[in-house]
Amino acid sequence: MAPDLNSTKDLFVFLGKSVFSVLEDMVFTLIPKPQKNVAGEIVLITGAGSGLGRLLALKFASLGSVLVLWDINKEGTEETCEMARAAGATRVYAYTCDCSQREEVYRVADEVKREVGDISILINNAGIVTGKNFLDCPDELIEKSFDVNFKAHLWTYKAFLPAMIANDHGHLVCISSSAGLTGVNGLADYCASKFAAFGFAEAVFAETVAQKQMGIKTTIVCPLLINTGMFEGCTTKFPSLLPVLEPEYAVRKIVDAILQEKVYLYIPRVLYFLVFLKRLPWRRLTMPIAPRPMPLQANQAGNPAGLGSKWRPTWGTKEGSPKNDGGVSVVRNLEAV
Amino acid sequence: MDLILDTVTFGGKILRCLLESLIYKIISKKKKNVAGEIVLITGAASGLGRLMAIKFASLGAILVLWDINEEGNIETCRLAKEKRDVKAFAYKCDCTNRQEIYRVADQVKKEVGDVTILINNAGVVTGKMFLDIPDDMVERTFLLNVLSHFWTCKAFLPSMIKANHGHLVCISSAAGLVGVSGLSDYCASKFAALGFAESLFLELNLVKKTKIKTTIICPYFLKTGMFEGCTTKYPLLLPLLDPEDVAQTILNAILEEQLYVIIPKMITFTLFLKQILSTEMTIALAEYLGVHTCMASFKGRNTADEVQTETEREHL
Repeated sequence: MAPDLNSTKDLFVFLGKSVFSVLEDMVFTLIPKPQKNVAGEIVLITGAGSGLGRLLALKFASLGSVLVLWDINKEGTEETCEMARAAGATRVYAYTCDCSQREEVYRVADEVKREVGDISILINNAGIVTGKNFLDCPDELIEKSFDVNFKAHLWTYKAFLPAMIANDHGHLVCISSSAGLTGVNGLADYCASKFAAFGFAEAVFAETVAQKQMGIKTTIVCPLLINTGMFEGCTTKFPSLLPVLEPEYAVRKIVDAILQEKVYLYIPRVLYFLVFLKRLPWRRLTMPIAPRPMPLQANQAGNPAGLGSKWRPTWGTKEGSPKNDGGVSVVRNLEAV
Repeated sequence: MDLILDTVTFGGKILRCLLESLIYKIISKKKKNVAGEIVLITGAASGLGRLMAIKFASLGAILVLWDINEEGNIETCRLAKEKRDVKAFAYKCDCTNRQEIYRVADQVKKEVGDVTILINNAGVVTGKMFLDIPDDMVERTFLLNVLSHFWTCKAFLPSMIKANHGHLVCISSAAGLVGVSGLSDYCASKFAALGFAESLFLELNLVKKTKIKTTIICPYFLKTGMFEGCTTKYPLLLPLLDPEDVAQTILNAILEEQLYVIIPKMITFTLFLKQILSTEMTIALAEYLGVHTCMASFKGRNTADEVQTETEREHL
């Protein structure tokens, strides 16, 4: 008897919450969802030296946040710093950090906690892409992809989440990718790492919900291709359905999602439909028929020169980085897409 | 004009796939013959790996069994040969170690031949809240559950491509489709395994147009001991699965060359709901189904205090 009563109660609770949620959605289609004020919040952005990371930094600067910028590229971070100050930020801190190294992440995180304070918005944005077919991709580059695109998220969470939980105040932002929603030809390692980032962020989100940590928000962003240079050379088969996004548009949508505390953001919106198709219960094989971005034709002759004017090499200076070895594509440390 | 043409082509392809699905629901697809195929199973010393090995033995396949647990592996060998007198080779291999994978793979190529069915099954789970998991355990989960797939594929895929004949099987998980509280590192690794298998499938089939098949398995919790202690709130909706049944389903899927296998089918439906419902409703649904509490009493193969060692070679 008791289990039945519990089940009935649970069912009613579920139905009640569903009705409330539907009503809430209806209200928010009429009036815009409120956006939170992030003035004074300490925002940490990895991969802030260029591209999406830099644009996010500038946007948060204009909103009055305190910025903590991380990148492996010292010059890039300092440039972003200058630009952020010009955009109105009063407190900007730049750190050089190789996010693929766990101990370095912890070390720099400690510095940040000492010099700045507790991070309240963590944006895991740093990402690299190798763009090679699976069998042509050297093992070290595969491991590097994972280290930067996914494992960095583990270490930054470990470093900054405890304080967020203690303060019951924080926002975890994961810049994944549409390649984290569905496999893409020519991006096996990148896809796997972006899937991992998505799954991890979702699982930790589930943990915060399960532990009723209401002050911890999560936003997972899955953009298609953003025109920042990281995926220079890539085209999509149906540019009107699946456009290469302009960076300003992408940043605007991402920041709006963070301020509205949206959990999932797929841009462009047609991605919601494509994922819906993928999840149809009775479909047997919709994968090959969905339009796919054509892969980056990287490294046809080991020559990175044709990869776009915004490409900036960041390898070769640190100890232990993969060497540019003839047929090996130089890994570009650019913002994530 | 281009857009219209492309959309019509796209619409036509969807329609064809729908019709295909309908037809295959009525008449079941023909199962391929795997007698004489060389099947490599990682994590074969226990649980799902062992069950699959025995089933493949009964179909006359040549077995190559990998596991870090030598004893368990040899036992699987014995059980398989008891089922049917096939050739079975047991190798000790720590799949968290890339160089060891390559070394043992070379041994296999010399002593047995070219692997034609590769089943990446070995896996480990910690089952703790993320901040309570030691860093090296997180790394280990990742090395075994995902990176090993990369290295085994690197080792065995070239010969499959050369022969234009092969089958890659990725044992992912329902936790590779949706994040679950208490399984952060495991989820991440299973998501990655799925993403990798999918991308590789696209690379091989759409671009290179090879005849190499891919199957991705996403089961819910299996009663093999790996997820000992896990509970399910509504066993009718989301039952803890019988390993024997799951092994048979997986085998059928491989023989019918299916791409995705989600067990039980209820999960497909919940994922579909997740896509159309708002986040708040999905959370309410997850709460209702008890997804947040299913890992609360997780014990795993050893007690919670002991470090998970070699016996985790099995799959969810």
